[in-house]
Amino acid sequence: MLKNYLKIGWRNLMKDKTFTLLNVIGLSVAFGVAILLSMSAFFEMSYDNFHENGDRIYQVYSTQQTAKGPEAGTTKPAPFAAALQTEVPGVEKITRFLEQEALTTYGEKEINLDAVWVDSDFFDMFSFPVLKGNKNNPLEEKLSVVVTEETANKLFGSAEAVGQTVNILIDGKEEPLTVAAVVGNHDTQNSLDFEMAIRFENHAGYAENIEAWNSSYLQVFAQLQIGVSVQQFEQNTRSFVDLHYKEGIEDLKRDGARADADGRYLQIKLLPIKDVHFASFRNGYAEVIRIVPYLILGVAFLILFIACVNFINMSIAKSAQRLREIGMRKTLGAQKKHLFFQFWSESLFVFLASVGIGILLSSLLIDNFKTMFRTNISLDMLTSPTAVIVFLIAAFLITLVVGGYPALLLSRLGTIQSLKGKLESSGSNRVRNVLMVFQFGIAILLISGTLVLWGQVDYMRNKDLGFDKEQVISFPIDGKKNPYQAVQLLREELTGNPDILGVTASDNNLGRGKDGSQSTSIWGFDYKGRGVRTHGLVVDYDYLETLGLELVQGRSFNKNYAGDTESIIINESMAKELGESDPLTAFLPMNDSLHYPVIGVVKDYNFQDISKAIEPLTFFLDRDMGLSYAFVKVAPVNMARSFDAVENAWKKIEPNAEFLGSFLDENIDNTFRKEKTMATMITSGSIIAIALSCIGLFAMSLLIVAQRTKEIGVRKVLGASVSSITVLLTKDFLKLVLISFLIATPIAWYFLRQFLDIYAYRIDLGPWFFAAAGLLAMTIAILTVGSRTVKAAMQNPVKSLRTE
Amino acid sequence: MLLQLNNIFKWVQQGGQRVFLLKDINLEVEEGEFISVMGPSGSGKSTLLNVIGMLDNFDEGEYSFLDEPVHQLKEKHRANLYKQYIGFVFQAYHLIDELTVYENLEMPLLYKKMSGSERKAMVADMLDRFSIVGKKDLFPTQLSGGQQQLVGVARALIGKPKLILADEPTGNLNSKQGDEIMELFKQLNDEGVTIIQVTHSETNAKYGKRIINLLDGRMV
Repeated sequence: MLKNYLKIGWRNLMKDKTFTLLNVIGLSVAFGVAILLSMSAFFEMSYDNFHENGDRIYQVYSTQQTAKGPEAGTTKPAPFAAALQTEVPGVEKITRFLEQEALTTYGEKEINLDAVWVDSDFFDMFSFPVLKGNKNNPLEEKLSVVVTEETANKLFGSAEAVGQTVNILIDGKEEPLTVAAVVGNHDTQNSLDFEMAIRFENHAGYAENIEAWNSSYLQVFAQLQIGVSVQQFEQNTRSFVDLHYKEGIEDLKRDGARADADGRYLQIKLLPIKDVHFASFRNGYAEVIRIVPYLILGVAFLILFIACVNFINMSIAKSAQRLREIGMRKTLGAQKKHLFFQFWSESLFVFLASVGIGILLSSLLIDNFKTMFRTNISLDMLTSPTAVIVFLIAAFLITLVVGGYPALLLSRLGTIQSLKGKLESSGSNRVRNVLMVFQFGIAILLISGTLVLWGQVDYMRNKDLGFDKEQVISFPIDGKKNPYQAVQLLREELTGNPDILGVTASDNNLGRGKDGSQSTSIWGFDYKGRGVRTHGLVVDYDYLETLGLELVQGRSFNKNYAGDTESIIINESMAKELGESDPLTAFLPMNDSLHYPVIGVVKDYNFQDISKAIEPLTFFLDRDMGLSYAFVKVAPVNMARSFDAVENAWKKIEPNAEFLGSFLDENIDNTFRKEKTMATMITSGSIIAIALSCIGLFAMSLLIVAQRTKEIGVRKVLGASVSSITVLLTKDFLKLVLISFLIATPIAWYFLRQFLDIYAYRIDLGPWFFAAAGLLAMTIAILTVGSRTVKAAMQNPVKSLRTE
Repeated sequence: MLLQLNNIFKWVQQGGQRVFLLKDINLEVEEGEFISVMGPSGSGKSTLLNVIGMLDNFDEGEYSFLDEPVHQLKEKHRANLYKQYIGFVFQAYHLIDELTVYENLEMPLLYKKMSGSERKAMVADMLDRFSIVGKKDLFPTQLSGGQQQLVGVARALIGKPKLILADEPTGNLNSKQGDEIMELFKQLNDEGVTIIQVTHSETNAKYGKRIINLLDGRMV
C-alpha cells in the first residue's frame, strides 16, 4: 500500500516538474533561512544562562522617585554589598563588580587588560570553571588575580601561569599581584566578560570609599538563599534603605518627589542575571525586552509561513487535476483515511527533500550569515538532543498541518462530484484568498519595516550631532605616563604637521571606539535649595575648538587665564536646569567652601548615544582628574596619512601600548550597530519573503490561467482584446494585494511607532513609507502575474478551445 | 434476490421547487440478470446507476442489497459493501494516468487489504484472461480507447464482484471496440455475473435480458 502511494506520489511530482521545483525551492530556502535565523535567535537568548546557580543570582538595582518621575540606577557605593548581606536576611553570597581596565606589566610586556574588580564570592557564584590553580576559592587572598586562558597565553605564552607575579598599575603605583588560577575562555554570550579578575579591595581609591555611602560607582550581584523569594527579599530591604539612604530620601522629598504606590521613595530591586543583557531602565524600572531574538524568530516564522502558504495553495489548486483519480479511488473502495494518507505521504516527499536541502543550505551559508549578522552560532547547536527533538517535532508539525490540510480537503470530496471533475464550492478558493492576503500582508509589513529601519539608521548616521565627527580621531590614552603629560607630548610631536588642526583630550569618548567601552559620569549637587544632576566631562584645553562645539555665551577655557582650572563650562540644557536668567553669573558648589564660576555656555550637542535626549552636561578643566581619550582634529585632505602620523606619534610616546584610534563617525556608527544588524536582517528577511511570495503568486497565476483557458478562448472569440483579458486575470490578484495592504498597514504602523519611540531623535513615521511598501508589493505582483496572463491572453483562441 | 429498490425518490431544490431526478423507482434484480437501462439524456439513467452503486444518496424510499438495508447503513459500512460486491465500468474509463496497467488492476485489491502474493496472483490471472499481459507495464495514455476500457472492465472484475455497473461503457469507443466489450459482458453474464448497463444504443441494449426505459426520472 505504502509502496503504491510512494510510487504514485513520485510520479505525480515528476509529471509536473515546474511545480515540484517551485515548491521544493521555496520550502528549502524557507527551511534553511528559518534554521539559521532561529539558531541565531536562540543563541541570542542564551545570554548568561550558563551559570549553575543562575536562577538565584540577581543584579541589585534601585528605583528612586524624583521630581521628574522614577529613575533607576544600578551603581552602588562600596559599603553597600557587605551591609546588604549582613543586614537583610536571605543573601547567600554577594559580590561587588566594577569593570575597569588595568595596565598590567609582566617583564617587557605591558598590556591594558579588561579587568573586573570583584569580591571573593565572585567565582563561587558565577560558573567560570577553573582550569588550573586554586579551584575552591581562587580570590581568597587579597593579592590574588584570576586570568582567562587567553590572557594567560597573552602574558606568559607557554609558561605556567599559576604562581606568576604581574604588576598592575593602581593609583599611579605598580602593585605586584599573583596569579592564583586560570579560568576557561568565556562563552561568547556572557555579559560579565573579563580578561582578569582582581579583588575589589585593590581598586584605586578604595580606602576613601570604604565607608562612603554617597559615592556610587560599582555594581552589585547577589545570590539568594534557596527558597527566598525576590518579592519577599525586596520588601525586607525597606528598613535597610531607611537606614542608609535617609539623607537622599529627605532630599528627594524636598525637591518635590512623590512616593510610589508602596509609599516609598527609594526601593531596592533585583533583576535576574539572565535578564541583565536584555534589560533597559527607561522609565525607572527594569524592562526586560528580548526584542531582537523575538524579532528574528518572528521573521523566521513569517518566512516559513509564506513558504507553507505557497505549498498549501499549490496543492489545493493542483488537486483540481486529480479529482477523477480521487473519485475513482473512492468507487474502488478507498476510505477517507486512505486518501488522506496518500496525499499526505506525497507532501512528506516534498517536505523531506526540502528539510534536507534546507539543512544543507544553512550549513553552506552559515559562515556568510555569521559575518553578516555578527552572530556566533555554529551547527553544533543543531546536534544537541533538545535541538534535534525540537527540530523534529517542529518539522513534523509543519508537515502535518501544511501537508495534512490539502490532504484532508481532498479526502473529503464527494465521490460523484470528484468523478465529474468539478470542485464542489468556492470554499477552498476562500481559504486560498485568505492565505494569499496573509502572505502579502507579511510582505508589506516587512517592506515597510525595512524602509523605516533604514530611514532611522540613515537619519542617525547623517544627523548633525553638534560636533565635528568626520575629521576627528579619538583613541584611548593607555600607558604609564601621566595623561596630561602624554597629551602634551603628543601636541609637541604633531606640531609642524600642516594636516593636524588640533589636539585635546577628555575623560570620555564620543560614540563607541575600538576599545568598545562607553561610560557615564553623573554629578549631583544642591543648587539654591534644589537637587541638580548633570553629566560631568573632564577636558583638556582646546576641547571645544577641536570638536567644533559652538559657544552660545561666554568663552572657552584659555591657557592664559590661570583661574580656568577652577571654572566650568556648561551646555544649554544645564543652563536651563540651573534656571538662571544669565547663566554666566552662576557659581556651582564643588564642596562646602569652593564654588566654580560658569564661564561659558555650549550649544547642546549629542554627547551620548543618539537614542538619548540631550541631558545637562558640565565641562571641567580640573587637572587633578584623569583624562582617558585623546582627540586629534585633522585636515579634510590626506586623512589616511594624518591617521598614520597620529599613530606613529603615539607609538613614540607610549611604545608599549596598542593604538586603538578611530574616526568619530566610525565610533558613532558603532553605537547603532544593533539597529544596523536588525535592519540588515529584516531587509534580507523581506527580500526572501517577497521572493517566496512571488514564487507562490507565479504558481497560482500558472494554475489559474490553465483553469481558465477555455474562458479566455471563448472571450477572445467573442471579441475581447488582449488588454481586457489581462486586466480580467490580474484584477483578482491585485484585489488581494489591496486588502492585505489595508490590513497590514495599521499593524505595521503600530509596531514601528513602538520601535521608534525608543529613540529621542527619530524620523517622522510618514504615510509615504507605507504607500511605498504597498506600491512595491503591487508592482511586484503585477509583474509576476502579468507575465503569465499577457501570454495567455495573446494565445490563439482556437488553440485554447481545442484543449477541451 | 440481489437487490431491491422500493419507491426511490431523488430530487434537487431549484428555485424553491423540487426537481425530481428519480421518481418512485421500484426495481428488483435477481442474481445472473443482465439489465440495460435506456432513455434520453437527462432521464436519470446515470443517477439510477449511481444510487444502485451506492455512490450517490437518495432522498426517499428503501434500498436493500443482499438483504442489507442500504438506506440505514453508515458510510463506512456502505463502502465495505460496494467494495466487496460491486464493480464499476465508466464511459471515460477513469483509469489512473499515473499508474501502469498492472498497478491500476492492483489498486482495488490494496483497498481490500490483500497480501502481496495474493494480489500478484489475482492480477496475473486477470492480465491473462484479458490477454493484456504484454501491456502490463504501459500507462493508460499509451493504450487505445478499446484497450483502456478492457483494462477498466478487468479492474472492475478483479475483486470478483457479484454485480457490474457499467455507465455507457462503449460511449467513447468505435463500433468494433464496442462490440468486443459487449461480447465480453455477455460472456461474463453467462459465467454468472449480474450486469446493469446504461446505454444509448439499441444494439447494445439487446445484449441485455431485460430493458428498463426511463423518462424524466420515471420507469416507463
